[in-house]
Amino acid sequence: MVDESTRKTLSSIPLLQTKAGPRDKELWVARLKEEYQALIKYVQNNKAADNDWFRLESDKTGTRWFGKCWYVHNLLKYEFDLEFDIPITYPTTAPELALPGLDGKTAKMYRGGKICLTDHFKPLWARNVPKFGIAHAMALGLGPWLAVEIPDLIEKGVITYQEKTDEAK
Amino acid sequence: MPPSTDWDEIKRLAADFQKAQLSSTTQRLSERNCVEIVTKLIELKLIDVIFTTDGKEYLTSQQLLKEIKDELYVHGGRINTVDLAKELNVDLNQINASVAEIVKGKEVQLVSGYLIAQYYLEKIAREINEKLQLQGQITVGELTLQYDLPAELLQHNILEKYLGKIIIGKQDSSDPRIFYTEEYITRTKAKIRGALTGLLKPTPVTVIINHCNLADRLFMNLFDQINAPGVLTGRQAGALYVPSCYSKSQNDWVINFFKQNNYLEYDALSRLGISDPKGYVKRILVNEDLTFLSSCVIGSQIKLQLDTALEDCILSKSYMDVVSLLPSVLSDSDIINVLDELLKNNSKSTILFENTVFSNHFIENLKQNCMLMAEKKAEAVVKSGKYQQFYLEKQINKATEMSQTTYIDHKAERREERRRKAASGKGGGGTQGRETKTKAVKKHTKSKQAAHDSDSDESPNMSKKNKADLEIITTEDVETIIKETLENEGLDDLLTPISEYIQRSLNQSALALAKEIADKLIQDTSQNRKQTHSFAQDKINILINDIKLYEKGFKLMPSDQQPQFIKYLLKSLGGDILAEFCKYAGNQCNLSVQVDTLTIEQRNKIINDLPDEYKKTLVALNATLSDQNMELFYQAVDVCLSECGMILKKVDKKKDKLLIQNHREKLISELEVCDEPALCLHIAVLAIFTILTQNMLHASGRQVPIVISFLKTQIKEEDFQRLQYYHELVAKFLTSSAEEKVDVEDKLKVELPALKNMVQEIKKYK
Repeated sequence: MVDESTRKTLSSIPLLQTKAGPRDKELWVARLKEEYQALIKYVQNNKAADNDWFRLESDKTGTRWFGKCWYVHNLLKYEFDLEFDIPITYPTTAPELALPGLDGKTAKMYRGGKICLTDHFKPLWARNVPKFGIAHAMALGLGPWLAVEIPDLIEKGVITYQEKTDEAK
Repeated sequence: MPPSTDWDEIKRLAADFQKAQLSSTTQRLSERNCVEIVTKLIELKLIDVIFTTDGKEYLTSQQLLKEIKDELYVHGGRINTVDLAKELNVDLNQINASVAEIVKGKEVQLVSGYLIAQYYLEKIAREINEKLQLQGQITVGELTLQYDLPAELLQHNILEKYLGKIIIGKQDSSDPRIFYTEEYITRTKAKIRGALTGLLKPTPVTVIINHCNLADRLFMNLFDQINAPGVLTGRQAGALYVPSCYSKSQNDWVINFFKQNNYLEYDALSRLGISDPKGYVKRILVNEDLTFLSSCVIGSQIKLQLDTALEDCILSKSYMDVVSLLPSVLSDSDIINVLDELLKNNSKSTILFENTVFSNHFIENLKQNCMLMAEKKAEAVVKSGKYQQFYLEKQINKATEMSQTTYIDHKAERREERRRKAASGKGGGGTQGRETKTKAVKKHTKSKQAAHDSDSDESPNMSKKNKADLEIITTEDVETIIKETLENEGLDDLLTPISEYIQRSLNQSALALAKEIADKLIQDTSQNRKQTHSFAQDKINILINDIKLYEKGFKLMPSDQQPQFIKYLLKSLGGDILAEFCKYAGNQCNLSVQVDTLTIEQRNKIINDLPDEYKKTLVALNATLSDQNMELFYQAVDVCLSECGMILKKVDKKKDKLLIQNHREKLISELEVCDEPALCLHIAVLAIFTILTQNMLHASGRQVPIVISFLKTQIKEEDFQRLQYYHELVAKFLTSSAEEKVDVEDKLKVELPALKNMVQEIKKYK
């Protein structure tokens, strides 16, 4: 199962109600609205907890999302590009989050930089099908993945710190 | 258009989302940051702080000190450092470091993991004082348990420090770990005193202590201060308290009892709780002359009493029952012991039967009572010949014994000896069989009983022979005589032993007496023999003389009548002579001839018993008696006389005349007093014959008519007639029946004086 802090985080994200994919026209709009609201709430929460760790935006239709995510290790901020599409079968199928920058650098990753989520993720998602949204996928999938993989990768020297000019501070 | 508005809304939401993402994150230090900062600062040694155990808080050491002190105060001045660490959430090491800092000041000390403040000690002292006042007594051990503090701390830092200041009390001088209040001491003393005063009998100290709820030690300490009315047998817990009133009354009782009764029973003393009665009595009755017996002690008074009683008894020639004089508690063995001692000095004048002491005189008197009987019996036994027989047997036994031992072969002797040794247990393997046997014989004379005992193991033939020691007097004889006397004295239960005792000595004296009598008898007989010899000789001489005179008399008779007279003469006087011979011979041969006149049977018996030399001659003489031949008789008498060493004296004519005269006078005087008609006639006829013929006649009643017819020629006619008539009357009287008898008797009575006169007449006439 997910750890205590993750659970706490999850519970603070509002749950969604509309079960609709990108093809469902109006309903998708409603769904997208809910997605945004959840994300806003999640980001606000993160900011309040001084735990801001990603930037995300979408195209007009809300089917393609991209942005950045970062992880602080040993007082160093490691930043990665993040992208994913909303699958046709969404929300039944979870979105496949991808970190293209790390493609090929770790075993816990599919071709194209799609991260391998834990065994728990899929059943958990399936159980909460209309209720979980992108925010949940971030909190439940990517967050823990980063926490586990990045320090390991840094240790192995697969990724190195790149001095960023402005954004780090 | 709803969809457009929706999308607008989405745009707006996206914008909002971007805004939200771009809005700067709150600029506050998160916990993580703080931790990082502090860690950094500590690393840089810019600050000195202490982590709490959960790591969420930091403390400065000053804060810690303060907090520790506060905690200490909150806990009343005493706290465990471990508790402190938990309470303050600070590592124990940090606490310990701080505590060391705190302890540097004098206010607080660390005792076995506890921080203890001075005011806590004071508080404890006050508590202790309260408790002490309440309980009266307190021990450090008790307090250690209560306060969970080291004894030493309590002892030195609290009790001794505050003693007299906060704690009002006293330290036990013998045990510094005990404290008590003055009141408690006095109270306890009072308690002990009360208990001790109340006690009347010896009590174990433990009982007293338990009862009063005291400590052993305190009791022992206080006991000395109390002047208790009694003593302790020891200082240990097992000691006994003996109240002086108890020992006093004990002593009083003992002394009083002794004074009253003059004896003390050990049992009684043990019942009073005296463990060593003998020693105790010795201690208490120091000046008394005591005799210690197995079950009791007796005083001199009892002994004195006994002595005086004994003296009295000896002097008054009576007896005394020792049991009645001695305390009833004495056992039999004790009585015997006392008697032994008592009789040591007087054993010669007294005899002991069971528990009664008899003076010898008393017994002697009893014996005297029996003496008469003893004499009689002794005489009887001698007369009956039993004694002589016994004596002879004894002699024979001795003789045979001697001879027996001489020829007894070695084997038998040895066997016998062995048996005897085993039986008697006597030592002296060297004793010869013979010696032992003589000893045994001696014993017989001492006591029949003993003889029986020792004999039972002897060879059978021996015991048979020696078994009968002559018992002249039996115990029963003695018993019957002395029974009355003893019953009067109430001593019948001792009858048998006394009788046996008397019987023994009496039998001895009777035996001695019998011996004496027997000896005397033997002496007498040997003396008598001479006398009897001459006496018998005289008698026989007289008889022979008489026979000769009578012979002369009947020679006057017609010769055809003579054999009758001879027969009668031989039968009567000849028989007498034979009897005399028999008596004499019997005496000579020690045959007992008691009667003076012997019947024919007795004569024959004696003759048969006589030894041969006498027997032959006497048998010959006896034969002549029935022969009617005087010559043969005389010859036989001569043989007998010579056999008996006697002589026939010569016949003196003058003497014969005198004899005849005497005979005549005797006949006449006999006639005078006679009343019997037949006898009168007989005598009268004999008298007349003697007067007329100057010869004696020996005739039986049957021969009276013959004599009368002989007299016919000699006397007057009328006298003859009278005799004839009288004779007829007599014959009639003897043959007549009862009715006629009276008639004839009357006639005879009338005639009798005339007959007597006639004899007188004839005498004068002559």
